[in-house]
Amino acid sequence: MLMRSPKLRYPLIAAGAVALLLGIDAGPARAHKEAHTAEQLKAFQDVFIEQVKIGDLLFHGDGETQKRLGVQLSKTGMACAMCHPYTSDTHPHQFPKFQEQMNAFATLRDMINWCIEKPNEGEKIDVNSDAMKALEAYIYWSNRNSKLEPGVH
Amino acid sequence: MSDRELLRREMDRVLRAPGERPNASTVVTRRTFLHRSLLQGAAGVAAYGLFPTLSLIDLAYAQGGQGFRFAWVSDTHLYPKTLNTRFVEKASRAFKEVQAMSPPADFLIFGGDLGQLGDPVELQLGSDLLQEIKIKKVFIPGEHDWYLDMGATWNRMFGKAPWTFDHKGVRIVGLDTVSHAEDFWTSRRMTAKERMGHMATLDGTLGGAWAAVGAEQLKWLNTALNDWPKDKPVLVFSHNPLYEYYPPWNFWVRDWLEVNETLKPFSNVTNVHGHVHQPLYNEIGKLRSIGMLATSWPWPYAPEGVPVLTRPMIRADPGEPFDGVGWGTITTSATVRTDAEYKMWRKEVFANAQVDSGTGDNDNQVLTPRIADRI
Repeated sequence: MLMRSPKLRYPLIAAGAVALLLGIDAGPARAHKEAHTAEQLKAFQDVFIEQVKIGDLLFHGDGETQKRLGVQLSKTGMACAMCHPYTSDTHPHQFPKFQEQMNAFATLRDMINWCIEKPNEGEKIDVNSDAMKALEAYIYWSNRNSKLEPGVH
Repeated sequence: MSDRELLRREMDRVLRAPGERPNASTVVTRRTFLHRSLLQGAAGVAAYGLFPTLSLIDLAYAQGGQGFRFAWVSDTHLYPKTLNTRFVEKASRAFKEVQAMSPPADFLIFGGDLGQLGDPVELQLGSDLLQEIKIKKVFIPGEHDWYLDMGATWNRMFGKAPWTFDHKGVRIVGLDTVSHAEDFWTSRRMTAKERMGHMATLDGTLGGAWAAVGAEQLKWLNTALNDWPKDKPVLVFSHNPLYEYYPPWNFWVRDWLEVNETLKPFSNVTNVHGHVHQPLYNEIGKLRSIGMLATSWPWPYAPEGVPVLTRPMIRADPGEPFDGVGWGTITTSATVRTDAEYKMWRKEVFANAQVDSGTGDNDNQVLTPRIADRI
C-alpha cells in the first residue's frame, strides 16, 4: 500500500539509491524473510490458476466472463480459440518481437489487442486490465513448457 | 513416449506393411499455377486483392475410365447474418465459383460444418446460399451441424448419411463421422445449446473422442463395398480424416483401425475430408487421404502428427478474412490422372520455408489442453 502512493514511492527509491551509493549495509535485500508454508504456496498457485481459468473462458468467448469484466473481445461471434486451439500459434515465448501486422516492435499484450481489434472486431482493452492479465495468464500457462525465444519470428 | 505416439506407432505397425501403399502405379506430384481468371484479369477476383490459386496434388489412377470433376466445399461455419456476414460472403463466393466452373463439375460434395452452432437459421441460410449451385449436390454432416438437435434439422434439409452411388467407374461413399459422441450432456443436465457449445469448441475437453464411423455404419460400409471390384477406384467422403492425425481436436476417427481394415482389400481408395481447415496429404496402407480447405478460417497445423507427406500451406494473415481459405475440386481426367485442386484465395498456397509454414518452426511450441471446461 505504501509503495502505491507516488508521493512516498519516489523519496523511498531515492533514499535506497543513496544508501547503495554510500555503501551502507542495510542487510540482505529480500522480499520475504520467512520461509513459505505449503499453504501459502498453494494460495499463490490458486491465485494464478484462477486467473488462468478466467483467461481460458475469455479466450473461448465466454459471454458472462466478458460482461463481468466489462470487455467485449469480439463482435463477430469469433473467439480467440477458434484460430488458436490450445493457444497454438500465439507464441508467447517469442515476445517481445517485431510484429509484421503492426509494423512495430510489440509485446504479447499488443498482439492480443491487435487480434481483438482486427480479426475479432471487438473493443481493444486496457493493457493493464484484469482481462488482459487473465488472457496473458492463460496463454503463458498453456505454453509453459516452451523455451523462451524472445524476438524469434 | 506419449499415448498419442504409442497410438501412431500402433497404426504404423498394423496398417503400414512393408511396401504397402495406395495403388502401385500411383504418382504423387504437386504443382501450383495461377488460375485462368487471374491471367485474364478478372476484375471481380482482383477486387479482393487476393487471387485464386490452384495448387494441385496429382494422383494417377491405375484404372482408366471416363474423366470427371467434382467440387468440394466444406466448413463454411455460417452465423446468422445479423451477427456476422464475413463467413456468408466467403461461402457465397465459393458457391458462385463452383457454379461458374467451365466445364461444369459433375456434382458438389458439401463436406460438413455448414453452420456454426447448428441453428436452423444458420442451416437455412446455408440452404439458401446453396441454391446458387444448380448441379447435383450431395451432403455429409459436420459436428457443428448436428449437436443442437442431434441432426434433426440437418437430416430433414440435406438428407441422411451414409450414402453411396457409382459415378463413371468410381464407387463413391459419403460417411457420417460426427454423430457418435459419448453422451456427456445428460448427466450434467445440459441444455441443447450448451451441448452444442461444447461440441463446437475444437479444443474443448467434454466432447472427447467424438469422431467415429461406428459399428452400424461400418457394417453398412462393408455391404456397400461388397460387390465392388477390389482394384477399382473408391472415393470416401468424410468430415473427419480417417487416420490418426491429432485426436485431441478430433483430427481422426476413433475407430480408424476398423475403418482401415474395411478399406484394406481395395487397392485404390481416396478419402477426401474436411474439419481440419488446411491442406493435408497422407497415406496409410492403401488408403490415401486429402484434407481440404475451409471457406471460413484456417486452423493452425496441430502441434504433432502432421503427415510427413503433407506439404503445409503458408501461414495465413489473420487480418485478412479471405486469406488461407477457399474450396477445391477433384478431377479424374481421361488420361487416368486425379487432381486435387486447392482453390485458395491468395497468391501462394504452400510454404517453401519452415518459418512460413507454421509446422516445422513450431518445434518449440509445447501446448497444454485447456482447463476451464473440466467440469
